[in-house]
Amino acid sequence: MTRVPALLVTHADLAEALVRAAARVYGAVDDVEVLSNEGRSKESLEEEIAQRVERWPNGGIVLIDFWGGSCFTCGVSAARGREVVVLTGVNLPVLLDYLHNRDRFGVLELAERLQGKGQDSFRLRRSPAA
Amino acid sequence: MSWVLARIDDRLIHGQVIVAWGLRMNPRRIWIVDDAAAADPWERELLSSAAPDIDVRVVTVAEAAAHWREEAAAEGGAFLLVRGLGPARALVEAGAAVQRFNVGGIHYAPGRDKVHDYVYLDAADRDAARELLARGVELEVQDVPASRAIPLTALDNSLTRS
Repeated sequence: MTRVPALLVTHADLAEALVRAAARVYGAVDDVEVLSNEGRSKESLEEEIAQRVERWPNGGIVLIDFWGGSCFTCGVSAARGREVVVLTGVNLPVLLDYLHNRDRFGVLELAERLQGKGQDSFRLRRSPAA
Repeated sequence: MSWVLARIDDRLIHGQVIVAWGLRMNPRRIWIVDDAAAADPWERELLSSAAPDIDVRVVTVAEAAAHWREEAAAEGGAFLLVRGLGPARALVEAGAAVQRFNVGGIHYAPGRDKVHDYVYLDAADRDAARELLARGVELEVQDVPASRAIPLTALDNSLTRS
């Protein structure tokens, strides 16, 4: 299985911070690209994402912070016509699962797995009754 | 009710609009006024999908101007988004009685110079701004509700000279 590449696109420096945090848990992180929308117009952000994803010969996953923001719309536009999928709501559990499984699945299969991981990552831990 | 925010922002629909303004003002409809996006079904679907719980309408300047009064009398709040000062002027010239535009983001492009962190203008932008001001339309720079609104004329005094 070839490795599925990933690009994180977020507000401020969240993407970079997520990769740094992942490295604390996972060890050195390579082959994960990061991008911030800070100070960018729609055109500039879309162009920057497009330049990164067109280097992926077999597609890949664009991980976005939340649905509906400029990272989302520009990511979807840049992915158009390519084997590139957009997954929103990236968090540390999702990024860690990506790192552990990026060599084991195809693009869509991995993206669906990560969606499930993200959904499962929210758990309310209630204190047991005293 | 109806028009509660008319915003100039080259990102059109995005996080600040949906989260910062949207959660505060709860618009029922968002009118994205953009000739290019309105002509492209793929783009219209993308922009609408960005706010799945709100009725998003992607329309041309002419369509927005034609529906302006009807929307003004409609129930629930509405947002209006345009990409730049040029389309904002075109909308007002086409008959939309916008009293105030919130200037939320006109980002750097070659030929534009900086007047604020997220506002860059070129000669055509300034012409459009002057025309809007001459028609009595207020232009207020403000990215999110929590930050202070600054008149565009206070950031670029060339706008008040003729």
